[in-house]
Amino acid sequence: MTAQHPLIQVNNLDLFFGQFRALNNVSVDFKSGELVGLVGDNGAGKTTLIRVLCGIHAPTRGEVYFDGQRVVEFHPKLAIDQGIETIQQSVGLCDNLSIARNFYLGREPVKRILGIPFLDFRKMRDISARVIREFGLRENVSPDDEVERLSGGERQSVKIGRAVEFKNRVVIMDEPTNHLSVREREHVNELALQLRSQGLLVIYITHDIFQVHKLADRIVIMENGEKIADASTDSMTAEELEEVIRQGGRVVEKREKK
Amino acid sequence: MLRSLALSNVFRLLEKAPSFGAVIGVTVMLIAFTLVDFSGWWTKQTISNVVHFTSLLAILAMGQALVILSKEIDLSVGAVYGLTGISFIYLQPILGVPGSVIGSLAIAMLCGWVQGFAVVKGKLPSMIVTLGGLFAFRGIIYVLTGGSVHSFPVEAQNHWLTQLLGGEFMGIKGAIIWMLLVLLILSALLWTTRFGNRLLATGGNADSALSRGIRTDRVKIAAFILCACLAGFSGILTLADEPQTHVTIGELLELDAIAAAVIGGCLLTGGRGSLVGAVLGALILVSFRYELIALGAPSSWYISFVGALLIASVIFNQWLARGGGLWLIQGK
Repeated sequence: MTAQHPLIQVNNLDLFFGQFRALNNVSVDFKSGELVGLVGDNGAGKTTLIRVLCGIHAPTRGEVYFDGQRVVEFHPKLAIDQGIETIQQSVGLCDNLSIARNFYLGREPVKRILGIPFLDFRKMRDISARVIREFGLRENVSPDDEVERLSGGERQSVKIGRAVEFKNRVVIMDEPTNHLSVREREHVNELALQLRSQGLLVIYITHDIFQVHKLADRIVIMENGEKIADASTDSMTAEELEEVIRQGGRVVEKREKK
Repeated sequence: MLRSLALSNVFRLLEKAPSFGAVIGVTVMLIAFTLVDFSGWWTKQTISNVVHFTSLLAILAMGQALVILSKEIDLSVGAVYGLTGISFIYLQPILGVPGSVIGSLAIAMLCGWVQGFAVVKGKLPSMIVTLGGLFAFRGIIYVLTGGSVHSFPVEAQNHWLTQLLGGEFMGIKGAIIWMLLVLLILSALLWTTRFGNRLLATGGNADSALSRGIRTDRVKIAAFILCACLAGFSGILTLADEPQTHVTIGELLELDAIAAAVIGGCLLTGGRGSLVGAVLGALILVSFRYELIALGAPSSWYISFVGALLIASVIFNQWLARGGGLWLIQGK
């Protein structure tokens, strides 16, 4: 691996919700072109950590660097502007809006008529339909249909298509294969690998360590708001990592040395 | 086969039109009035009065619809309507007619901003904040008027702007034209701009909208400001037509505005609704009030009637949303 500086660097991060310590002194680096599995049980702090990275929560203490720059203000808008795209389980789509409107939500293309910026509906329809069809959308679904009509897999396709289309640098996938059929799940995993091969940083959150071990270059395990392991998938098997989770608390760091 | 295809297309169009219930409501109402009171209803006098008052209410209802679409509610519109109208009369001697229009609209927008800000930044339910706003603004009206009646001097009544706002054009009341203009501009804003898309998203699923980088706080505050501004504009139109201030101006108007928006197909769960529907809802309310009086029913029954109509229309709109329209067309 070349000596590039990490794309995202998290140093000694603490986050409190009132008295509750959701993140406890977490430090972790992420590089471009890496697929990192972020693993842990429910309440381990994975989603909280991700929410800091995508600007939903601001940390109580600690620093986040993006591309060498310290992040001072936390807001989803800023994260998206910097090219951090998050694919979350329950949020990201508005059921009351059409596929095309959802696809471009927050980055709507406009066409000026008499100087007034109106939505460019043709572009929104054409591009969203083309991109999402690549990721598995039925032919009889139109980009004008509300996302309410879509299946779980198709909903993920919209979110993933969006992540691909907007030239991002980081794609965070939060339990992307929940509620999906076996075929859809394989498809999503292929997409994750495809994104990585395009040089993006992919952070893949799951509690299924065996599934992500096959995909990831590196696995970070969290428990009770702390990072308890950070190891390359070459240096530890899925079984070994599972043992770490079972024992808990014992901090393991094993990196591939080249 | 071809027939059922066409029908399903029709249904899909209807399904996308939340104002469908209000269209049916207006149709049924007009048929009923024609049958019951043909000669009384279809007169130039009746129709022009009904359309005039509908327009004033519709402007309020459209503003309310925007707030409801963003998944909030504004109970203060009646008081803002009154306060703005009264400010319009009171500021005129100091600022002149144009200055007074701008000044009183600024007061309305300030009312909207204060309430929107409190709702969003204080994370408070808008029902409570705007109920507070209702009392506060109504209280200011009491203090300002002190029960007295103020009016415009003759030169202000004949001012071109007063005439433009409250006068008639070729026998059509100014308010009607203003209402159509507001409907056109707001529809374009809601359905064909970035702001509109973000407003619908904020009301539909605020967490998702936020995760897409939308500043939902600002969107909601903007909705409150627009709503208050439209309520104030309606108040100005009312007083430009009849420049006399009353203490009771705009009382209970918030209920009419909310009822009109809901009858028109706005869901209080946010994100779905229609501006055309809000206008039709206003038409239904005003028509029934007028016709109940014309038929000699005691006008006090009007409020009870609005309540019953509101519940009936919510049930009807829900039924349509669950696919009742398909049954209506295909009989299954």
